[in-house]
Amino acid sequence: MSDKAILFDTSRCSACRGCQVACKCWNDLPSTLEKNGNPPTGSYQSPMDLNGDTRILISFNEEAGGSKGVKWAFGRRSCQHCTDAACATICPAGAITKHEATGLVTVDDSKCIGCQYCSTACPFDVPRYQEGLRTTVNKCTGCVDRIEQGLEPACVTTCQPDALVFGDRDEMIALAHERADFLKARGYEDAVVYGEDEMGGLHVIQVLKYGVAAHGQVENPQANPVVGLTQIMKPVTGAVTGLTVAGLAAMFVLGIGYKRDKLAYNPETEDTISVDTGQVVKHGDGQDEETVMEHITENLPGKKGGN
Amino acid sequence: MSKGPVMVSAEETAKNKAFMEQMAASGTERYIRRHSKQARWTHGITIIACILLCISGLFVFVPALAAAVGADTVFAIRMSHRVLGVIFVLVPLISAIMAPKGVKHIFKNLFDRWDSDDKKWMMLFFPYLFMAKWIHMPDQREVKSGQRFADGMLWFSGALMGITGVFLLLGTTLFDFGGGVYGVMLFLHDIGFLLIAVFGLAHIFLGAGIFQPYRGTAKLMFGDGTVSESDALYHWGHWARQEIASGENVIEKKA
Repeated sequence: MSDKAILFDTSRCSACRGCQVACKCWNDLPSTLEKNGNPPTGSYQSPMDLNGDTRILISFNEEAGGSKGVKWAFGRRSCQHCTDAACATICPAGAITKHEATGLVTVDDSKCIGCQYCSTACPFDVPRYQEGLRTTVNKCTGCVDRIEQGLEPACVTTCQPDALVFGDRDEMIALAHERADFLKARGYEDAVVYGEDEMGGLHVIQVLKYGVAAHGQVENPQANPVVGLTQIMKPVTGAVTGLTVAGLAAMFVLGIGYKRDKLAYNPETEDTISVDTGQVVKHGDGQDEETVMEHITENLPGKKGGN
Repeated sequence: MSKGPVMVSAEETAKNKAFMEQMAASGTERYIRRHSKQARWTHGITIIACILLCISGLFVFVPALAAAVGADTVFAIRMSHRVLGVIFVLVPLISAIMAPKGVKHIFKNLFDRWDSDDKKWMMLFFPYLFMAKWIHMPDQREVKSGQRFADGMLWFSGALMGITGVFLLLGTTLFDFGGGVYGVMLFLHDIGFLLIAVFGLAHIFLGAGIFQPYRGTAKLMFGDGTVSESDALYHWGHWARQEIASGENVIEKKA
């Protein structure tokens, strides 16, 4: 199976939010039953943002301008399924992984340990956590369970205006360019294809009718540099700690058989005396007068004066 | 290894002989009080917490370990990591509040001047670790120069772990610091772990007396806080002579 992608064409989206409902239905994710449980957003957008029970969200953005006097810029807030998925890289439990057959970034929440490192790593601020004592990650899985059964992702299946299309990534990119060119020809100069190269290539390809920012997407997304640094720290810590243990072991082995004279101090004469031999090993409390090299070599086996 | 013999006058030799005979006849040995009970308890609780924190942290740091024990176990370990972290941060803080003079004393020693013996000791330290049978080290004051550096690194990395740990705990419970701040804290926590691992292992190797010349030093923190005259003269010669001469902290125990 070749890499797959979801194509989201904003010019076709009617913001019905059927995709949100389909996602919740397929993945058995509840919505609040409380009256006005979702805070008002000032538009038809609901809820305000992704949350532990909401994996996909249609964002509403209205801007002045355009041929109709207003730009209705709907956006898709959900996992973008990066090729260079920083969340999967940083996940210490293997709960977030790349689905080899499709390239989608999927989740096994039974493996999630709730560290929330993926939230730190994601340049799109996508991973969310279900509330409770044991929080587990919740994000779009790309519906790989459906894809493996020959179905399309739930959101795509339900999309009535065909704003969402699923297929081979190459085909989706070609289709996206075709649509962007069409929109440009119709006077939408800011129309652009998003996701072809971002983060190594996304598996959600978008046709953004009014440009990247208008649809709430991230210009030039970059993974948090910390992701790379933390990955470097693991082998570095292992290597340095291993070297330390090896060094200490060598010191221990070389120290086998070590013995020294018992010492006593006579304050009256200011002499430090070897209890074993009765000899004075130091008089007074002055600073040492030997060189470093003398210290190292004076007692070496075969050297005169060693003790 | 001690330094070779020093020639002294006949009169001094006689006095030393009498002194040694008197010591032997008394049937006792001199010890110097070095660490208070509070210092020993604080050290003990903190290092146990630190070791358990390192072990529990490994289950998040090393993906293979997390995979081996399963998510439920790692979750329980993570929660224990938080409890241990609170102990690791609070116990030294409470102890410091209870004994501000002790804290001042510790930091005064950490940032004490480096005299000729201190510098020489530091230069000889690595050769000594591998050639302890042959190298005698210059005398030291209350805290060896290398000990000041190593203890300083442990203080620093402990503080780094404590501060970043608090940020990581609060960032996943009460506050949202944003991915940038959380990520930097996570990276600094990893740096702190590396430093703790290296300096902690070295500290255990020396402090617990695994290294043969340091045999008996474990009693300083895990015994009654006293050090024998002989060990004190070997490890901290300048300090030992000063203490023995003043007699203030010297006690005698049966040989």
